[in-house]
Amino acid sequence: MVNHHPTADFLTDYATGAMPPAQAACISGHVNYCEQCRRSIEQLQDIGGALLERLPPAAVSESVLDNVLARLDEPAPLSFDTSKRGLTDTAIPGLLQRLINGDFSELVWRKITGSLSVSYLKTGDEHHEFALYRIAAGGQIPEHDHEGSEMTLVLQGGFSDESGHYGPGDFVYRKPSETHAPTAIQSEECICLAVMDAPLRFTRWQHRWLNPFLQLRAG
Amino acid sequence: MNEGISLPVSGNNKSWTAPTGRRTDEWSEALVLIGKSQDRAAFTRFFRHFAPLIKAFALSGSNLSANHADELVQEVMLKVWQKAGGFNPEKAAASTWVYTIARNCRTDMFRRLQKFDTPLAAEDFNFELEEEEPFAVLHTRRGSDRIRELMGELPPDQAQILAKVYMEGKSHSEAANELDLPLGTVKSRVRLAIQKLQVHMEKA
Ligand SMILES: [Zn+2]
Repeated sequence: MVNHHPTADFLTDYATGAMPPAQAACISGHVNYCEQCRRSIEQLQDIGGALLERLPPAAVSESVLDNVLARLDEPAPLSFDTSKRGLTDTAIPGLLQRLINGDFSELVWRKITGSLSVSYLKTGDEHHEFALYRIAAGGQIPEHDHEGSEMTLVLQGGFSDESGHYGPGDFVYRKPSETHAPTAIQSEECICLAVMDAPLRFTRWQHRWLNPFLQLRAG
Repeated sequence: MNEGISLPVSGNNKSWTAPTGRRTDEWSEALVLIGKSQDRAAFTRFFRHFAPLIKAFALSGSNLSANHADELVQEVMLKVWQKAGGFNPEKAAASTWVYTIARNCRTDMFRRLQKFDTPLAAEDFNFELEEEEPFAVLHTRRGSDRIRELMGELPPDQAQILAKVYMEGKSHSEAANELDLPLGTVKSRVRLAIQKLQVHMEKA
């Protein structure tokens, strides 16, 4: 059961196509788990359809029609099959599966602390880092803040912080300089997708020495 | 003569809506024909109606040249032909379906023109709604009809903002810059417009 959703602003940017790809991939991951947000996005897209109907038409020459008619027999390009995505609590969202190219276990994980490791994925988004974080069962991410913003989507397990408990499919957004120290649930390791536009910064002296190693890996 | 009471006559009465979510308007039916039987005549009609709207969409607020706009029209209309088999008139209005294709093609064209290297195409972010209960289908259908009815009643400042973000594809902050408005004002106008159109949102 998903309890934490993206704001209307995010869903609108997603529906209008204005969202950078790394963030859009995160929203699309949430939507994989959340039927309510799917419906909201459908309706937001209906606004696009309604506005398109009302545009003053711009003249298109007959040669454009002829060109298209002449190309109708071309074979359709292969496209990623979006229809197979299921709405389940355990499956990795389809788009992520493709970026991961398999399973969580096939990724290269870099250790940050004893209970925290990270794996960076490529989306081509030069302003956002797109990474999976793995927290051992019951492990804590040391208290940190961000110079920028952070979108998080829980993929497996769950964590708690000052503001609540988050399970698979839950979406969390932190504005720059909001501090938090999430702790994974005891029963299971937690895997989250995080999209950031600035590196995280540990705030406690015990962990600050790690900060120089946490460069933003956008792209 | 009792003019006060008129009973709905099923079959002949135009205002009577069948209790299904299936759309039976001209453009949904054309899309179904194209998908089912590769009907070129239906496609040509569809093209004559939608191509000028797609071109207007391509040219609104963007830096696309007329040539690129024509190229976009071609790409979108080819996708319409190739994907019509997947169009489901219970799930989406024809214009909404065309809008999502045009939006994706435009995003990909911008990225191509800016030599933006990404392994993802805009349509990879699409999702399909599950097969649904008739009631849910009807509910969705009513929502999308209502949006079209209420659109004309939006105050001009809200309609203008929606056109910026949807037709021009501007983010909230780009729209704020271009209209010389504070970001907060843009965000609240978009939110108000969406509320007036009765789009349902979960609490974040
Ligand atoms: Zn949601």
